[in-house]
Amino acid sequence: MIDSLLLLAFALAALGGAVAMLLARHPMRVALALVLTMLSLAGVYAMLGMHAVAVFQVLIYVGAVMVFMVYVIMLLDPADRSLRERFSAWLLPGAAALVLLIAAFAYGVQRGGPFAVGESVAGFGVKPFSIAFLADYWVHFELVSVLLVAVAVAAVAVVGAGRRSRG
Amino acid sequence: MDRTTLLVTLACVLFSAGLVGVVVRRNALVMLMCLELMLNGVVLALVTFARDSGSQAGAVLVFLIFVVAACEIALAIPIVLLLARAKRTLDVAAYADLKG
Amino acid sequence: MDILTLIVLLPLAGFVVNGLGGTALGRQRIGPSAVSVIGCGLPIASFLLAIGAIVDLERSGQALVDVAYTWTTVGTTAFEVAFRLDRLSAVMLLVVTGVGSLIHVYSTGYMKDDPGYARFFAYLNLFLFFMLLLVLGKSLLVVFVGWEGVGLASYLLIGFWFDDPAKAAAGSKAFITNRIGDAGFLVGMFLLQQGIGTLDIETINAAFANGAPPGLSATLVALALFVGATGKSAQIPLHVWLPDAMAGPTPVSALIHAATMVTAGVYMTARMSPIYLASLDASQIVAWTGLATAFFAATVAVTQYDIKKVLAYSTISQLGLMFVAIGVGAYGVAVFHVVTHAFFKACLFLGAGSVIHALGGEQDVRRMGGLARRIPVTFATFAIATAAIAGIPPLAGFFSKDEILWFALASGHGGSVALFALATLTALLTAFYMFRLLWLTFFGASRLSPQASHHVHESPVSMTGVLTVLAVLSAVGGFLAVPHYLEPTLPLPDVRAGTEALHVVVVALSVAVAFAGLAAAAWCFGNLARADALRNRFVSLHRVLSAKYYVDEAYDALLGRPLAWISDRVFLRLGDRVLLDGSLNGLAALARRGALVLGRVQAGPLQLYALFAVAGLILSLAWMLRHG
Repeated sequence: MIDSLLLLAFALAALGGAVAMLLARHPMRVALALVLTMLSLAGVYAMLGMHAVAVFQVLIYVGAVMVFMVYVIMLLDPADRSLRERFSAWLLPGAAALVLLIAAFAYGVQRGGPFAVGESVAGFGVKPFSIAFLADYWVHFELVSVLLVAVAVAAVAVVGAGRRSRG
Repeated sequence: MDRTTLLVTLACVLFSAGLVGVVVRRNALVMLMCLELMLNGVVLALVTFARDSGSQAGAVLVFLIFVVAACEIALAIPIVLLLARAKRTLDVAAYADLKG
Repeated sequence: MDILTLIVLLPLAGFVVNGLGGTALGRQRIGPSAVSVIGCGLPIASFLLAIGAIVDLERSGQALVDVAYTWTTVGTTAFEVAFRLDRLSAVMLLVVTGVGSLIHVYSTGYMKDDPGYARFFAYLNLFLFFMLLLVLGKSLLVVFVGWEGVGLASYLLIGFWFDDPAKAAAGSKAFITNRIGDAGFLVGMFLLQQGIGTLDIETINAAFANGAPPGLSATLVALALFVGATGKSAQIPLHVWLPDAMAGPTPVSALIHAATMVTAGVYMTARMSPIYLASLDASQIVAWTGLATAFFAATVAVTQYDIKKVLAYSTISQLGLMFVAIGVGAYGVAVFHVVTHAFFKACLFLGAGSVIHALGGEQDVRRMGGLARRIPVTFATFAIATAAIAGIPPLAGFFSKDEILWFALASGHGGSVALFALATLTALLTAFYMFRLLWLTFFGASRLSPQASHHVHESPVSMTGVLTVLAVLSAVGGFLAVPHYLEPTLPLPDVRAGTEALHVVVVALSVAVAFAGLAAAAWCFGNLARADALRNRFVSLHRVLSAKYYVDEAYDALLGRPLAWISDRVFLRLGDRVLLDGSLNGLAALARRGALVLGRVQAGPLQLYALFAVAGLILSLAWMLRHG
């Protein structure tokens, strides 16, 4: 009972954060709304019993990605036009598209019928996760580490390019 | 409405909101954050179905997606900053050079 | 290999050897002699073989057939290359190979100093090959190959001195006019193949033996084939090429445009005689076309000043008379006239060549005269041949022409008094203009230019020898009873009731006409002042006649220029540039403009592109969910 209510609460919070993201004027507010959404989603994952995923959501997404975003937003020029006018020229077509898109998805979900629910597995905790990760999926682990190296190099290159273009 | 339907619907709504946010918002950084919102919606759907099918692979995949998202943002933000510096504004309407 | 195939192939071998090796041979010391030996020897060999074949024919009493090979088989019909020798083709064979060989020998003298000597003999041999295909062919298909081939050889030989554009144009004119006639021939062949199912001549003739077979109109076929004959034998309206063809060397004019090629039309219609017997209408058209041609050509010949042009119009006129004979059903008589005409016309042309050779190239009779004593052999042979063509007995022309006039009057297959009257008038004109030519060329005071006068000399033996042979043939050739010889294959028509008694009258009339022409010509042209006075009396008539009734100009205005206009305006400017180029360029321009228009979709703003992506997503979702 409590579980269902908590799940619903977290879901509503995520939704509210999304709406606030669309409507807020200052980018900092938008960022904070996104943080709210992400934390709510972490809660949802925890309610589902996938604690490892929930923790990673908070650590990586909120802790790294959103912090980086917040830093960047602090570099903003307050006189920028995008701070005076929130919406682009395509607001109305966009809003119509939103309605249609949600309608299409809702119809699809409803047609998808009752979803099969498997029994709850004991192990979505950290230990079973790590065992599976490093035992069965170690190739993917290595590939991802290569990706991280590549990104680091690329970031340095982009910064260097920026420095060169500025003379 | 059962849990799975609720969460899948929520995932679709988050995805749609993010997609439309890319279209309607004027600030470049806000557009990036809407992209992140889209990604979160998709991950939610993935987690829901992974949980329901009891597959460990799903969790691993979610983790890998997080890593990729971090990489993506690590590159996207410097690029957007360079663009903003070149055009002297974060207003997306100014980035209109890719013309036919 | 059978004798008929050998006869046909020997000249082809001559063409190949002289054509390919002529230049190389020419560089050797024995060169020209080798070319002459090959070029003349092979036709002479064909002639001897022909005699042998005819002896075989007479001995066995049956036609000789020789199947060379099967060209192709379409469904159940096999098209073979086969040759057939019967009495009719025997006569033509002897004329073609005999007179042909003589003219080849003449050419060794006439073309001696020409740089294209070997090429000339190669082309002459090629012509002989195709002519033999035409004469000996067993099916109309082989005949047609020969028909086209002689047209080709004629083009090559008329335009032999192709450096002169006028001469080359004359060759083209001949070829194109021939082709127009050939279209008619083809139509005739198509009708026959469709109606009877074969192109074999004997089968076709058998099918027409009792009138036309069902579903096939004899008149139509006869007229279609006659159109082909009109082109090849220079009848109205396709006669315009023959006078221009005089641009070629004189041996060519003698061989092709007097003795053999132009008579191919007569030969072909005689061959297909059952078709003409089955259609009186077509025969009448043939007869009257021939008569009209004969008469008009004779009137033009009276006014011409070029020695070869007079002979050209004379040939057209004589061919017309042959078609008169064909038209009234006297096929054997027409062939008889072919034979005698070959003798005296070849002699006349070669004699003209001898005169031209003697004068160093002069062809205008206004600058000749008084040559009788200076080139006696040429004069004697020319005079004999002239008498022959005028119809003075007992020379060859008298017999054949008399027979034609008789059947024009008396034939039960369309003879009439009108036909006879005009034909006799034509005979009178023939005698007149031929003796005019003789007087202007050989008699009277000399009007030669000083250089020509110094240059005058009798021709070498290679030329005068041939002239002598032909003159003798013109004299005695009439005693070859050709119509009688051909009677089994080509029966003479029945005589109309009530005309048998007039035969003597006709003979007397034709003799009288011949001498009247002689007298008139001697009177008019013996004294040139009288000739000029006569001309001044009839100035406009003279102008029309010497301009050949303005036929060429009429063709140019009615056909040539409109066709050129259509070609330029309709096909070039409209069809090619506007429609074809325009549509292709238009498609390209359309693509370019379409790209420009569609390109405006990519207007620039990034969010517009994102909006398109969203729209696309919605549409694909909708579609998937509807058809999922």
